[in-house]
Amino acid sequence: MGIDVDLLHKIKGVIECPSPDKDIRRFDANMRLFPPFLDNDVFPLTIKNTLLQSCYLRNTEWACGVAVYTGNQTKLGMCRGIPEPKLTAVDAMIDKLTGAIFVFQIVVVIVLGIAGNVWKDTEGRKLWYVRYPKEGPWYELLVIPLRFELLCSIMIPISIKVSLDLVKSLYAKFIDWDDQMVDPETGIRSNATNTAISEDLGQVEYILTDKTGTLTENKMIFKRCCISGRFYGNENGDALTDAQLLNAVSTGSADVIQFLKVMAICNTVIPVRSKSGTISYKALSQDEEALVCAAARLRMVFENKNGNILDINFNASPIRYEVLDTLEFTSDRKRMSVVVRDCQSGEIFLLSKGADETILPLTYSGQQVRTFAEAVEQYAQMGLRTLCLAWRKLEEDEYNEWASMFKEANSTLVDREWRVAEVCQRLEHDFEILGVAAIEDRLQDGVPETIETLRKAGINFWMLTGDKMNTAIQIALSCNFVSPEPKGQLLIIDGKTEDEVCRSLERVLLTTRITESEPKDVAFVVDGWALEIALKHYRKPFTELAILSRTAICCRVTPSQKAQLVELLKLCDYRTLAIGDGGNDVRMIQQADIGVGISGREGLQAARAADYSIGKFRFLKRLILVHGRYSYNRTAFLSQYSFYKSLLICFIQIFSSFISGVSGTSLFNSVSLMAYNVFYTSVPVLVSVLDKDLSERTVMQHPQILFYCQAGRLLNPSTFAGWFGRSLFHAIVVFVITIHSYAFEKSEMEEVAMVALSGCIWLQAFVVALETNSFTILQHLAIWGNLVGFYVINWIVSAIPATGMYTIMFRLCKQPSYWITMILIVATGMGPVLALKYLRYTYRSSKINILQQAERLGGPILSLGIIEPQSRSSLDKDLAPLSITQPKNRTSVYEPLLSESPSATRRSIGPAQRFDFFQSQPPLASTHTRKDN
Amino acid sequence: MSSDDVSSLPSKKVSRKPIYSRFTQQELPACKPILTPALVIGILICLAIIFIPIGLLALSASENVVEVVDRYDDACIPSTNQKVGFIKDPATNKTCIRSLTVPKKMRKPIYVYYQLDNFYQNHRRYVKSRSDRQLWSPKSESSTNLCDPEGQTGDGKPIVPCGLIAWSLFNDTYALSKNDAALQINKKDIAWRSDRTHKFGPNVYPKNFQNGPLIGGGKLDENIPLSQQEDLMVWMRTAALPTFRKLYGKIETDLEANERITVTIQNNYNTYSFNGKKKLVISTATWIGGKNDFIGRMYMAIGGTSLVLAVIFSLLYVFKPRPLGDPSYLSWNKNPQ
Repeated sequence: MGIDVDLLHKIKGVIECPSPDKDIRRFDANMRLFPPFLDNDVFPLTIKNTLLQSCYLRNTEWACGVAVYTGNQTKLGMCRGIPEPKLTAVDAMIDKLTGAIFVFQIVVVIVLGIAGNVWKDTEGRKLWYVRYPKEGPWYELLVIPLRFELLCSIMIPISIKVSLDLVKSLYAKFIDWDDQMVDPETGIRSNATNTAISEDLGQVEYILTDKTGTLTENKMIFKRCCISGRFYGNENGDALTDAQLLNAVSTGSADVIQFLKVMAICNTVIPVRSKSGTISYKALSQDEEALVCAAARLRMVFENKNGNILDINFNASPIRYEVLDTLEFTSDRKRMSVVVRDCQSGEIFLLSKGADETILPLTYSGQQVRTFAEAVEQYAQMGLRTLCLAWRKLEEDEYNEWASMFKEANSTLVDREWRVAEVCQRLEHDFEILGVAAIEDRLQDGVPETIETLRKAGINFWMLTGDKMNTAIQIALSCNFVSPEPKGQLLIIDGKTEDEVCRSLERVLLTTRITESEPKDVAFVVDGWALEIALKHYRKPFTELAILSRTAICCRVTPSQKAQLVELLKLCDYRTLAIGDGGNDVRMIQQADIGVGISGREGLQAARAADYSIGKFRFLKRLILVHGRYSYNRTAFLSQYSFYKSLLICFIQIFSSFISGVSGTSLFNSVSLMAYNVFYTSVPVLVSVLDKDLSERTVMQHPQILFYCQAGRLLNPSTFAGWFGRSLFHAIVVFVITIHSYAFEKSEMEEVAMVALSGCIWLQAFVVALETNSFTILQHLAIWGNLVGFYVINWIVSAIPATGMYTIMFRLCKQPSYWITMILIVATGMGPVLALKYLRYTYRSSKINILQQAERLGGPILSLGIIEPQSRSSLDKDLAPLSITQPKNRTSVYEPLLSESPSATRRSIGPAQRFDFFQSQPPLASTHTRKDN
Repeated sequence: MSSDDVSSLPSKKVSRKPIYSRFTQQELPACKPILTPALVIGILICLAIIFIPIGLLALSASENVVEVVDRYDDACIPSTNQKVGFIKDPATNKTCIRSLTVPKKMRKPIYVYYQLDNFYQNHRRYVKSRSDRQLWSPKSESSTNLCDPEGQTGDGKPIVPCGLIAWSLFNDTYALSKNDAALQINKKDIAWRSDRTHKFGPNVYPKNFQNGPLIGGGKLDENIPLSQQEDLMVWMRTAALPTFRKLYGKIETDLEANERITVTIQNNYNTYSFNGKKKLVISTATWIGGKNDFIGRMYMAIGGTSLVLAVIFSLLYVFKPRPLGDPSYLSWNKNPQ
């Protein structure tokens, strides 16, 4: 407005703004400045006048502004939301089991309490030596139940919480320590901020990922081009080093030079010359930067921009242009143009670049556009972003006439954007297409492999991006997100009004339902606008679609929409993981069950808000398949084992109450009971944090095995029932053997108690040993050292005269019958368990067992199912559009595994159809596969 | 990413501790046993090989124990309906004479036990009703708070030894004779040595014991310190089971087969009110203890079962082989036919 900087602080005025909200696309405010600066006019302020929190100023050193919202009231602050404390599925399951045990405990207490009172009245009063009072106090009936409540209180292991916290923090440490998850470029380590949710990593069902900066490196590079029908860069994957193109440049092929000119001029890039003389480019759009840089490498150097004057240097001969008008890029027009005048010849040109669908139809009649369309098609198949470059020579009159219209349109107040677009259209026609430029938004290393592996592991991917639909689809194609045409199918939901969206949604839903019976990779694509309508008015069909479809691409979505989608999936009882790198992903990261932040180019905002921060997307594979899976397996064992050991000792107490007149006598003394949970049984199981059922290599080769974690196969009521039964069986074994071998003259209370306790400890050691898959030195130390430790502790206690256990352990250790009893207890307790485990292991082996066997025996399995390395370079070299298609026979990957799934109970909506489909499917799948291949 | 890449980063080198790195990378060398048929069948056969001989040894040891059990509670009471009245009446003559035959030669030491059935020494009210401090130290005479309802006399004096256990002391006595010659029962050293030296005090004498209105079991000589009251010590080692034997004394001579032994029993102890049984047991002992077939039988059973299982598993292995780790069992490797 032309106000001197010094006077800025004297401006007085009022900004009328709405109260804080989270819509980052709208800011409808007015500004009124007081005289003397300006008249008391109202200036409309829109989102275009605002700088959002955590935005970066580029190409501008400074800007003056007024802080309208601050702190958590900023648009982004409102979007952020409050993070809820996160509870893992495993924790929820443990809580459920604890509840079940609590109910069981109450039942036991009530039953034994009644039995105790009955026994007391029928038998107990006859025992003169017990001296029951004739008339007890009023609470006498409660005494025995309360005694049993005390006895049974150890049924719920308190130590489980402590043990879990300990091992969880170790899981987190393992993530921090992992050398294979260190970003080699920056040296940034992975970090687990939230130490409590590692198990959830192994149970992820949906991954919602940001695109730019997460999947891609956020670096655009010009890769290929097609100029007047000739393809450059196809042989070696890089047009800049293509000898033919270099040759064409040096010989001065007119088409090529014109193409380069458009690349260099048709943009809003500002060249900055550093002191050393090198030129760097500042651009709003990374695409433009890539084009200008590429042009510079091809000797068309954009040197300077001074106002409207552009200086270009081609082959050391300077060319100067004057920019007359810039026809800006809008997402509707999908193209941008500049009108320039050649300062030497005075000729006026219109130079344009844009998406193929908006440029190709505007050619002059007669030009063949087929090659260009093919080029676009081919490049898109390779996941490259394409831009068509075109130009037209303008006559002076034509331009002048148009320029006045353009000025007028630019100053309209109502519907300006629409008017401008309309005027632009009047100029943009009869193009001569120069060629197609293909730009790669480079995927991060290992992204396609990571996504493929995780998809094989049964994880569904959703891409949520603020980017355009086409770009999103292209990236999705190139990183194995969706399969290209014959196998994959993209269904687009769009529309501006409710009706359109509704129709579109229903059509997509119908198609999805139909194609569900085919081995097709169906993905739906939705943009932010349609998504908002769908979420608001058609939540139910959209939810159904979300469940049916394994893949989705949501483009042009806002941070809060990202969070809403996470919420939607969470409501369907899916475990979600959100991964992103920027401030706009924070909300989604906090909302999801697991938030992963990439500490990338867009700062650390996401990484700070996240539960885990990693340096590169590809570490996600290791995070989930290695750390998540191991954590889940270990916690599953540890928690159930904790219940097992508590139940074991509690069952023995209950049994012993039957031989003590149901009076609630504790067989074990309080020292033993306390030490049982704290010392004797907690140490061996803690080293299960080192247990690995399968090697990392095997898991990476067979990611499908993650299914066992996802479906919660290792910790659920039925596995728990197994442990419950085992503890009951072991309690019977210990109790029966103890009271029979220590009968009659040996049935001294302290001795019997100690024999039973030693029996438990011996069984514990062997149970842990049997359930351990890999013994490191630490495991041996913990398991067998703990057994020795048990004796050492008891010898020490037995040496103190004041304790009730005085000399007990020494006496027992001298008796041969004690040791014989121990061996008998172990053999009787473990024999059936071993036999059952062997039978299941050999004749009803789970997939984990098969892989274990193969791994240890070195079977042929390792050569099968290895994921073919599909690096970017091979993709670049391979021109065939099918280069991204998956290796054969992948279609049947998921069905049989899922068809055995008991997890159906866990899902609230839609699982039935899903699993039915898989069960009925295999024959169908085969026919289709053959056709498709 | 190779480890070389990583170590070349300067920031990494500092944080890398070579000693722990195998631990932090979860790459400690590990032994990963799997349940192969050979391993499991081997374990089962080993079990059988170890268990059957031990079982035989234990059985033969138990077989070598010579045991004479005589239940006398029914026989030593007049067959009236007033059993409880009879036993409670201090005036009645409760002497009872039993005659036993030694089945096999018994070598010394021969143990004399009394066995009680259906007697709940492990009852919660009973087992707690004692004061170990009082038993050991004369200073703690008055710490009787656990001993209710037998802690203090009516006028508030502490009872030593207090509590229901001591109060219900077993008081039947046995006198053995062989061919009209008395057979000496040695009642020395029948209690645990630790009890004599560390649990029952040499300066603690019984006081106010069995002086209340209710008489429980036996009385104690107030002039003998607790550390020499071995019957009390044996009794106060409470049994964990409702059927138990307690050592009464030892016979230090051998007994020949078919010798007749006459036992003169003072049948004082009341088990009639709760249908308890009283038995006199004369037994020898071996390395396994008294007569107990349970361990031997269990060992035989486990050994036998292991053998059977080993055979079954071997047959299964031969006739229904299932290759371990066959990738064709992985559903995702099954190719569409």
